[in-house]
Amino acid sequence: MALALATLAHAQQPRLFTDSRPAMGTIFTIHLYAPDARQASAHFDAAFDEVERIEEALSNYRPSSELSRINRDAAVVSVTTDPEVFALLQRSLDFSRRSDGAFDITVGPLMRAWGFFRGQGSYPSAEALAAARSKVGWQLVALDPAARTVRFARRGVELDPGGIGKGYAVDRAAALLRESGVTAALIDAGGSTLYAIGTPPGKAGWLVHISQPERREAVVSDVLLRDESLSTSGNYEKFFRLGGRMYCHIMDPRTGEPVQGMMQTTVIAPSATDSDALSTATFVMGRERGAALLKTIPGARALFITGDAGSEHSTAFYSFRWPTEAGLPWRASGPAVSSNERKHAGRTQPQ
Amino acid sequence: MNDHFRINRREFIGTSAGALAGALAASSGAAAAVPPSDQVNLGIIGPGSRGSALMRAFLRVPGVKFRALCDVYEPRLAAARKITGEDTPGFADYRRLLEAKDLDAIVIATPLSFHAAHVTDSLESGRHVYGEKDQAKTVAECDKVVHTVRRTGKLYQVGLQYHYAPWYQEGLRQIRAGKIGQVTQIYAYWHRNNNWRRAVPDPKDPKLERLFNWRMYKEFSGGLLAELGTHHIHLANQVFGDVPESVIGAGGIDYWKDGREVADNVQVVYRYPGGRTLFFSAITTNRLEGAQIKVYGTGGTIVFTQADGMSYYEPAQGANSAVPQELVVERGVTTTASFRAEKPYGGQGTPLPVPEDVRGNADYLACASFIDCVRNNKKPGADEMWGWISGVAVALGNEAIESGQRIVFAEHVKKPA
Repeated sequence: MALALATLAHAQQPRLFTDSRPAMGTIFTIHLYAPDARQASAHFDAAFDEVERIEEALSNYRPSSELSRINRDAAVVSVTTDPEVFALLQRSLDFSRRSDGAFDITVGPLMRAWGFFRGQGSYPSAEALAAARSKVGWQLVALDPAARTVRFARRGVELDPGGIGKGYAVDRAAALLRESGVTAALIDAGGSTLYAIGTPPGKAGWLVHISQPERREAVVSDVLLRDESLSTSGNYEKFFRLGGRMYCHIMDPRTGEPVQGMMQTTVIAPSATDSDALSTATFVMGRERGAALLKTIPGARALFITGDAGSEHSTAFYSFRWPTEAGLPWRASGPAVSSNERKHAGRTQPQ
Repeated sequence: MNDHFRINRREFIGTSAGALAGALAASSGAAAAVPPSDQVNLGIIGPGSRGSALMRAFLRVPGVKFRALCDVYEPRLAAARKITGEDTPGFADYRRLLEAKDLDAIVIATPLSFHAAHVTDSLESGRHVYGEKDQAKTVAECDKVVHTVRRTGKLYQVGLQYHYAPWYQEGLRQIRAGKIGQVTQIYAYWHRNNNWRRAVPDPKDPKLERLFNWRMYKEFSGGLLAELGTHHIHLANQVFGDVPESVIGAGGIDYWKDGREVADNVQVVYRYPGGRTLFFSAITTNRLEGAQIKVYGTGGTIVFTQADGMSYYEPAQGANSAVPQELVVERGVTTTASFRAEKPYGGQGTPLPVPEDVRGNADYLACASFIDCVRNNKKPGADEMWGWISGVAVALGNEAIESGQRIVFAEHVKKPA
């Protein structure tokens, strides 16, 4: 009897439901609390439909997407787009401005030149690199807010939402879930961008492990996320090695080459659009300039791990207002980093 | 007996070709500067889930502005203002919206049961109309829309956006050119594996439940056949160039017994003149088939999805085949070093090519074409007659499901002259 009552009481409490669907080249997973499966199912459908809507607008792999339409025509004529896409382009260019070009949604030709659209990449010829660089630069994109139009300065320029699109989709899904009355959820875009709505019942936040680059099981730091977002960029997802160096898929648009010396950046910010863009921007900018950019973003915090995977260089990590302790788990007695702008470097031998 | 249902072939082809030309013109001209005199001012009734998608698509067309919004659920107006990015005037009563002086056309994306009133009142107010599918819920209402369009002389485009999808246009072109031989059967699916419900902000409020989940209630909705089947039925109407002769159907509330009034699975078989058949199925318990339309011809198959299309060649087999010999001659035969026991047809198929100069998705192309029609006073491709055929087919299909009887179209409908 007691068990039955407990079960009944339990049934009236919100329960945790989880669903995953492929989107934006990865798997989106949503964990949410709902009173029953019917409500949960409706929430999942609405949220995943919203992600699909954003992908249909932003994907540069889909010829029918709004971004593909802009990419095809904007070198020839000014292309009108809807206020939502226009606002995201404005926000992207704003990040470019504030990061001195480290974040740049015109980076596509470089990605292609380095072979990262097709596979794991290869070193481009000098001619191919020069040709690609001539098409890259956020200043080559002109936005006219009055007419809501996009225009490219030359042919070959293209918009690649890779550094911001997933974050925007996560923000939109989160907004929709909130509007539908969801008070506790975690939206996970392939692990690289997360957004937490509220907290699980009785908890202080959604537990997120920041793992060591290339070793998912080794935890560098745990954070509890609540009503904010976290994004991670790393050099170990797509890369190739040549002449003892590692070339990752994150480009420095200013040099035309893959970023060296940074292994992983994790940024917490109020919105997923911001955390997504900032994890990429700070990855390119490095820890000092990256931290300077983050100071201008209210609520932004970060954990940087520097070094070159597989090289003889040592690995270090740096905190910017990081909220919890962090340590290098592959070193038995590594120093812990506390918080609030103090930078501690925990050094270790490469694994 | 069925002559008065048959679509005049010249009218049929002319409409389709015009639609393609319109879409191309609208697409290629999309970026030209628009003088203020060419600005098209829209009002929307029902900026909800589908309505907001239409708003975004329309706002990608140069020189389009939403000047009035109408929804009975106030938070929708705020959400719609976020889409326009402006403090667009909002109304709870659509008649107030129609009183606005500066509207050229009205976009209607309300529940199905309101379509006829909203469309005809908008036309009567002197505005052109982009009305979501279905055209209307009942046969009489479908008739009324056609008569009102013709009497007012205003432009009306029904929201059958795949009419404008370039891969649909190309597939239809190949079918009409005989590339897959004689088409006798179309099998169409829209299979999902979910409860087809929308999240309700306050699940305990029965008014909100009916407002958000109107598709579940017969008062407002034609169920899966209306909401999911209409696009498929429209394509069959285009392929066969005709109105169905009869329909049988089945369906029920068999899995999601959650208070809904419409079936959670439906299957219908439409018979067209000449012994041609459309089978359509919508289920909510398995999504293997997804949304696709398989057009079977004696010489091949074309499969349409909502994103693309594929054609599959099927070689001649004896005297039954309608495949011209040239097909084999043109393609040649393949020799290999070793025998491979693979099917002599099908394989990977060939993607339906999309013309280089066509941009954007089906929604954008449909909306851009409508604006082009408004600016240049051209008749839309997806016009009131295409809307009428699919509309009455859905209404009678639902009657067949409800009654369990075979419904003969000639006993229930008469194609408007």
